[in-house]
Amino acid sequence: MQTYFRKRLGLILAVAVAFLALLLPGMKFYVHSQLGAETAALFPQSVTVGDMVFKGASVLPVDTVPALSLLQFSGWLLMAALAVMLLSLILTLTGRDKALVPAFFLSLMGTALSGTFAVHLMNLDISVLFQLLLTVQFGVYVPFGASAVMSIWLLVLLLKDKDTRAMSEKGWRITAGVVCLVTALMIFLPAYVVQVPDTVTEAPADAAAMNRSVSVLQAALGRQPMLNEAKANGQFQNVLSGDLLALEPFSGDGNNIRGIFLIPESSAVNVAGTGILIMAVVLLLAAVLCFLGKVDKWFPAALTVLSVVLGASAVLGMLMLSSQDMYTGGIRQLLYLGLGAITPVPLIMVFLALFGALCCIECIRAANEPYFVSPVPKKWQIRGLAALLAVLAVVCLLMPGVNYSFYKPGKTQVQSTASLSTFDMLRLSAGENILVPKDKKGAAMYEGTEADSVRDVMVRDVQGLALTTWAALILTVGGLVLLLKGKAKKPSIACFLTACLASLAGWILLMTGMPSSIGTVSCAAPLFMVWPLLIFAAFFTSFSDQEEIPKKYKLFLMMLPFLVAVLLFSYLPLYGWSYAFYNYKFGQPLSEQEFVGFKWFTEMWTNPANRENIVRVLKNTFGMSGLNLATSFLPMVFAIFLNEITNTRFKKFVQIFTTLPNFISWALVFSFAMCLFAMDTGIFSKFMLAIGAIKEPVVWLNSSEHIWLKMWAWSTWKGLGWGAIMYLAAIAGIDQELYEAAKVDGANRWHQMRYITLPGLLPTFFVLLMLSISNILNNGMEQYLVFQNPMNKATIEVLDLYVYNITIASRGTTLYSFGTAIGILKTLVSVTLLFTANFASKKLRGESIV
Amino acid sequence: MAKKDLNIHDKHHRQKMSRGDIVFHIVNYTVFTLLTLVCLFPFYYLFINTISDNELVRLGAIQLYPQGIHFQNYVEVMRIEGILDALLVSVARTVLGTLWTVGGSAMLGYLVTKQEMWLRKVWYRLIVVTMYFSAGLIPWYMNLRMLGFLDNFWVYVIPGLVSPYNVILVKTFIEALPPSLEESATLDGAGYLRCFFNVIMPLIIPILATLCIFSAVGQWNSFTDTMMLMPSGKYYTLQFLLYKYQNEASSLAALVRATQDSSALANLATKQTALSVRMTVAMVVTFPILLVYPFFQRYFVKGIMIGAVKG
Repeated sequence: MQTYFRKRLGLILAVAVAFLALLLPGMKFYVHSQLGAETAALFPQSVTVGDMVFKGASVLPVDTVPALSLLQFSGWLLMAALAVMLLSLILTLTGRDKALVPAFFLSLMGTALSGTFAVHLMNLDISVLFQLLLTVQFGVYVPFGASAVMSIWLLVLLLKDKDTRAMSEKGWRITAGVVCLVTALMIFLPAYVVQVPDTVTEAPADAAAMNRSVSVLQAALGRQPMLNEAKANGQFQNVLSGDLLALEPFSGDGNNIRGIFLIPESSAVNVAGTGILIMAVVLLLAAVLCFLGKVDKWFPAALTVLSVVLGASAVLGMLMLSSQDMYTGGIRQLLYLGLGAITPVPLIMVFLALFGALCCIECIRAANEPYFVSPVPKKWQIRGLAALLAVLAVVCLLMPGVNYSFYKPGKTQVQSTASLSTFDMLRLSAGENILVPKDKKGAAMYEGTEADSVRDVMVRDVQGLALTTWAALILTVGGLVLLLKGKAKKPSIACFLTACLASLAGWILLMTGMPSSIGTVSCAAPLFMVWPLLIFAAFFTSFSDQEEIPKKYKLFLMMLPFLVAVLLFSYLPLYGWSYAFYNYKFGQPLSEQEFVGFKWFTEMWTNPANRENIVRVLKNTFGMSGLNLATSFLPMVFAIFLNEITNTRFKKFVQIFTTLPNFISWALVFSFAMCLFAMDTGIFSKFMLAIGAIKEPVVWLNSSEHIWLKMWAWSTWKGLGWGAIMYLAAIAGIDQELYEAAKVDGANRWHQMRYITLPGLLPTFFVLLMLSISNILNNGMEQYLVFQNPMNKATIEVLDLYVYNITIASRGTTLYSFGTAIGILKTLVSVTLLFTANFASKKLRGESIV
Repeated sequence: MAKKDLNIHDKHHRQKMSRGDIVFHIVNYTVFTLLTLVCLFPFYYLFINTISDNELVRLGAIQLYPQGIHFQNYVEVMRIEGILDALLVSVARTVLGTLWTVGGSAMLGYLVTKQEMWLRKVWYRLIVVTMYFSAGLIPWYMNLRMLGFLDNFWVYVIPGLVSPYNVILVKTFIEALPPSLEESATLDGAGYLRCFFNVIMPLIIPILATLCIFSAVGQWNSFTDTMMLMPSGKYYTLQFLLYKYQNEASSLAALVRATQDSSALANLATKQTALSVRMTVAMVVTFPILLVYPFFQRYFVKGIMIGAVKG
């Protein structure tokens, strides 16, 4: 069974990837929602593949689409393709009919292609943007389809063991070579299409004069002279580009819209493009090697290099997207169009082709006894890893751009942003590129002499960073050389660590350089990547003369991602506690905020309004928690009595269905409440009217009367059956001989329940009670949130809900710091309570509950 | 273990039935029947209201049994803009989030059993301690915002990688396994990963199944995270839409009108009202749980018992 699946694993993976890839390109193309309202109005809504499948053509306004039926048709085709894909996946999994599989894939690709083609036809004159997107899809699907079919077909062949052997080694070599060649050629295919007007005029109609397809190759070569020319002529005033100041993306006038297609002049594009280019070269080399018959020795090495380059370029490309400020956000949108949406798909198809190539290798290996030995000796594997990390660090060092955000004096909003690419910086020519920051309307933000000083600060910062980056670069390269020589382990480690420190120093210099009254500096993600990369390079270097990394570190490395996750999601938020000591205003860096010390903590009691609120909220919290605590014996009673039921089937029935409410959300519980207790139509009202308990319909749900009791009733309804399960388990653990003995002594049912079952359950009850006492402040907010309304707000607001209501739920609030302060106190109290409960439990029962 | 033991002294009761016993049983059965009905009735009530004549529903005539059965509500609800997207998001987050959380817990649970790890105890405590404190709502929100998780689908999935409680469960489970299994695999040259996937993983399937179900229910049911972390309205989940419809009667009415315009002449029985849409969405949200629940009920029970042993 295991080998069966292992054999098919490759195929299944390939099918799954292909399936996702079919959906993927559509998912990324949401342009509409990212543009401003004005600009969005200029575009027809964009369509995604997913839309076509799920909603048909209903997403598009009829008048903008000339051939609506075609769109619908292609939507159907796509849907059929997906269905066929799923079917063949099932067939593959069950291994029913191998011969069917390739046929299915061929038909699948046929439908996908025709679908895309239909869309393409339909959109010839809709809009620039729309055309851009669809052409992208078209350009991507064809090679994707070809490569998918090819590699999957190869895998199917592989499954038939006899057939693999049947083909000669030479035949397989040639196949592998062809697969590599195809993959390499795919890389040179146009990856996206840029609409560039031949002559730039003011009239938007002329803008669509020229189509230009840019392949990855061109992108890698970088600069597009036309763009710069247009910029120099001043015709494109607001064109986005890597180092432009005071820009205004997507404001709604035609220039900008044309502008957004022209951007890809950022180092990320360059680096990613270069990476892909190297990949292509490696692939070509691999193809040549295949044809020459040197396959078994060097091919794996070539493939390793290839995948490394592939991964690195993808990572680097993506890293640039993570910048935070809004204007580089403009670039980010572009990269979504350019790199973000498009790169993954060629990457996937390249991966598919690689699959094919790897299969060929396997076959060659099978044909070629004895098995090939990795050309890389063991020792060099670790060394290679260290070297790779160092190289990545060098790449990252070359990448970082520096982003400056400026504030207009006296105002809090970010007024302008500047970013500088590293290549300029390292040439120490930054000074020429730095302009005086201007606000959105193009007016100088710092007038007179001050403007010069702003520029001076920036120049100084950049030069400092450039110097340290140079130092780090040289040190890293030095360490790399030493490492590759293989002799000097310690100096090499020292080099990496010093480089790391240098880079860190540069960052600190930068962050402290800019006076906070002017603005802030933020760095691109690659800079932050440098440090861990270098540290790990040093780490692996220290094992570079060993056969293997010691087990204890190997395990630690496996653990590392989890630790990082814990750090990011559990410990990093603790840093947010510092907000409690500031007068925090949303959207400003902490250094800009006013430090107020313990003001918020004392405010809770000194400010009468706050005190009133806090007292009210605490009253609610304790009231409702208290009700639940006071009735926490109910599940135990429930369990004891349920245990007396003798009919097993009935007992099970009860148990199953009383537990059910625990598994529905509070939103759903509220739905139930709304229907059952509706004022005029609900069954509860009808019932009460019928028995005459009330004379006319009463507002049950929204009133604030007895709200604590109502909340208690709902939480009991939801939790009673569930809470009983643990007691039932405990009852099962009670020694049956006790009951026998009691019966012999003449104990009746009540006696047994009272003197055997109940004492047997008390320890469990005690533990649960202690835990709920320590959780008395954490009664959650979901329940109270869904039941909350303006009428009952005063009596239903518990602590958690209160914090939510005054902060995230209210727009433009200034109470973030206050909310944080409450949160801190709450956590402290809870932890104290928990330890007290634990202590009590230890004292009373000699057992800890934590 | 529980199923058999729970009922072990049934037969003793059956032997002699005094009069008091009979009265006790009658009362006991009645009470539990009522309790079960109370738990089940809301589901039934909502259901009959979604399949009944909408006009009668509006008048409040449907109380105990359905009248004028039709299923148009379900068809119409699927046409509301955003519902299918929300369904997709809900399913995606449930599947991906569950796999991610359970996979992470399994792997981490395995790793922390390894005595030879560098500074194992330190890391383990670092992870477990996070169970007992939380930074609070605002810092949590700010942190996710800082990390770029606002308006991002992956916020449903990625932060769930490490859940200390699950890790403890898996760890306890693995520690109860005989160590010889892994040792022999190691002697055969298996590395840690191979040991984990080929030796340990098949053995801890029971607990993983339990964790899967809990995590899936949690993912499916959660809506407050959508409420806080999706300010610009992307990646809404079904649960959140349900919550939203309950609170924004006006927007719901507009929605209903929008889906209605083509069928203005449609008869009142199948005409959508805000009430019918609300109830139908609630039912759509409930169905998956109702469907899955009977099959996995025993895993729920098992899960809480494992938790209790740790307790």
